[in-house]
Amino acid sequence: MSIVSTCELTKTYRVGEMTINAVNGLDLEIEKGEFVSIMGPSGSGKTTLLHLLGCLDVPTSGTVTIDGMETGRLSSADLADIRREKVGFIFQEYNLLPILNAAENVELPLRYLKVHKSERRERALAALEKVGLTDRAANRPSQLSGGEQQRVAIARALVTEPALVLADEPTGELDTENTVRLMDLVSHLNRDFDQTFAIVTHDPMVAGRTHRIISIRDGRIESDETPGNQQGLPL
Amino acid sequence: MTFILRNMWRRKGRTFLTVFGIVVGIFALTVLGGMTARMNQQINGMKGFIADKITVAPETAGSQIRQMSQGKLLELSKIDEIEKVPGVKSASGMITVQLKPSEGMSQPQMLVGYQPVAGTSMFNNAKISKGRELQPGDAGKVLLGSTLATDLKAKVGQPVTLKGKQFEVVGIMDTTLGITDTWAFVPFQDALDIFLAENPYVKAEGLTQQITVFPKPGVNIETLSGHIQKVVPGIKTTSPKQAEKMISDISTIFSAIILGIAFIALFVGGLSVINTMIMSVSERRREIGLKKAIGARTWTVLGEYLAEAAVIGLMAGAVGMLLGLLAIAGLNRATHASNVAIFTVTVTVVVGPVIFATILASLAGLFPALRAARLNPVDALKEE
Repeated sequence: MSIVSTCELTKTYRVGEMTINAVNGLDLEIEKGEFVSIMGPSGSGKTTLLHLLGCLDVPTSGTVTIDGMETGRLSSADLADIRREKVGFIFQEYNLLPILNAAENVELPLRYLKVHKSERRERALAALEKVGLTDRAANRPSQLSGGEQQRVAIARALVTEPALVLADEPTGELDTENTVRLMDLVSHLNRDFDQTFAIVTHDPMVAGRTHRIISIRDGRIESDETPGNQQGLPL
Repeated sequence: MTFILRNMWRRKGRTFLTVFGIVVGIFALTVLGGMTARMNQQINGMKGFIADKITVAPETAGSQIRQMSQGKLLELSKIDEIEKVPGVKSASGMITVQLKPSEGMSQPQMLVGYQPVAGTSMFNNAKISKGRELQPGDAGKVLLGSTLATDLKAKVGQPVTLKGKQFEVVGIMDTTLGITDTWAFVPFQDALDIFLAENPYVKAEGLTQQITVFPKPGVNIETLSGHIQKVVPGIKTTSPKQAEKMISDISTIFSAIILGIAFIALFVGGLSVINTMIMSVSERRREIGLKKAIGARTWTVLGEYLAEAAVIGLMAGAVGMLLGLLAIAGLNRATHASNVAIFTVTVTVVVGPVIFATILASLAGLFPALRAARLNPVDALKEE
C-alpha cells in the first residue's frame, strides 16, 4: 500500500522577474515501511519536495496523496490536521522548544491532538524509551547534547504514530559518531516498528543506510535506486 | 498556563517593563476611579436633597453660581408672593454661609439657615435617627450633618460653637454620603445674623439669598417651577430636573477629565504590550513554524499568543489595582483626621481596572498574535 504518492507535482516560485520550478512535474510513490533517502545538490528542490509531501506547503499544480487522502484542495486548517495526524517531522536544527523539557517537547504534538494529559505523558515516555532517552525526560534542550536533542526530536515525530516520518537533513549538525548512532536508531525504528521514513540528505553515508535512494535534480527525479543493502545494516 | 508563564519568564526584564507600564496605568485608573466614585456618591446625595424642591434665586443674566458670588439678594416678601401661586405648599427663605472652605476634593462645610415649615420636612433623603429636625419657632438650635457632627464631636442636647455663636444640637442626620453631610442647618434668623455680621455692606432686614419651594402633593414640580417663574417677577426658579442637569454636566466633565488621564496612561501601556508581543512573535518565528509543522492550527497559535497577552494584562491589572487600593487606603487614612473621604472603593473600582487591563492587553496582543498565527510554516522554519 502506498503511504504517499505524487502525480505531476509542481511547485513554482517567483523571485523577482524569475520563475523557479523548484519541483517540476514529479511522480513519486512511497510504500508503507519503506526507508527512503532523497538526495540532490543544493537548489535541486529536495527540501521543497519534502515540504510538499508533508503538507507544509501546497503545490502549484499536481497532487499529493497521503494515506489515501488527496491533499491538493484542502484548506490550511485541514492541512494542519493531516500534519498532526499523519506526518512526523524531523529538522536539521532539532527545533525543540527551549522552555519545555524533553518529555514536554515530545508531548507537544499530542497536545494539539487533544490527547488527555495522563495518556500524553505515558506516550511521550514510551517514545523517549524508543530513542533511548528515558533518563533525560526531565532535561531541557539546553542540557542535552546535539545528538540527544535530535533523538528527542525523533521521539516527538514518532509519538503520534504517524503514517510517514519526514526528515530534513537530520544529521546536518551532528558529527560522524552521532550521525552513525542516529542512523542506527532510525534503521532500528524502521525495521522493528515498520515505520516509514523519508530523509532528505546530501550525506552519502546517510543515504547508504537507507533502502531506496531517490536523486533529484532541477525538480525532477534523476535516479531512483534500490541498492542491495536491504537490511539497513551498517556499511 | 505553565507554558505561558515560562515564556514570559524567558524575557523577565521585558515582561517586567511591560507589566510595569500597565501597572502604572491601572494604578491611575483605580485611584482616579475611586475619586470619581466618591464624587458620584456626593452628586447622588445632592440629587437626593434637591429632588423634591424648587430653588428660587434672584434673577440675573448669569448662572446661579455667579449670582451667589455677586451677593444679590431676594426680598423676603417674595415668599408670600410665591406661596400665593396655586400648587405651592410652602416656601422658605434660605441663607448659606461658609463655615470652612473645601480642602482638595473634600466638601466645604456650610452653615445653612432656613425657615422650618410645620409638617414639611426639608430632608426627604436623610433620616434623622438622633434627635429631631428644626421646627418653626426654634432659635439657637442646630441640626448637623453626620460628617460635621463627628468633626465637632457633637452630641444631641449639647452645645456647639459655629462662627462664634453657640447653638444647641437638636438633631444629627444619618450619613447620606452627599453634600449635606458637612452642613449645619440652623433657623433662618440665626444664619441671617451671621451673614450680616460677615457682610457689613449688606443693608439688613427682609432679605434672603434663596427661597426653597415645596409643591403640594400631586402637583407636577417641573410645571410648577415654570409657572412660578412666569407669575413672580424678578426671580429665577430652578426645578429639580434643571438642577440635576447642571450637576450631571459638571460630573460628566469631571469624570471625563479624570478617566481621560487614566486612559492616556493605559494607551501607553497598551502600546508597550503591542511592542512586547511583536518582539516575542518575531523572536519565536521558528517555534511558531515548528508548532504549525507538527499540526497546530492557526487558531491554536492565535489562542496561545492571545493568552500570553491576556495574562500580562491580568497580572498587571491585578498588581496595579492592589497598589491603587493601597494608595486609596493610605490617602483616606491621611485625610481621616479632617474627617474627609476623598475616595470610595466600589466593586467597579476594584474589578473594572483588572477586566479592563486584561481586555486591553488582549486587544493589543491581537495584531501580533494574528501575525504569528498567519505565518507560513515553511517561511517561519527558514528563519535563523
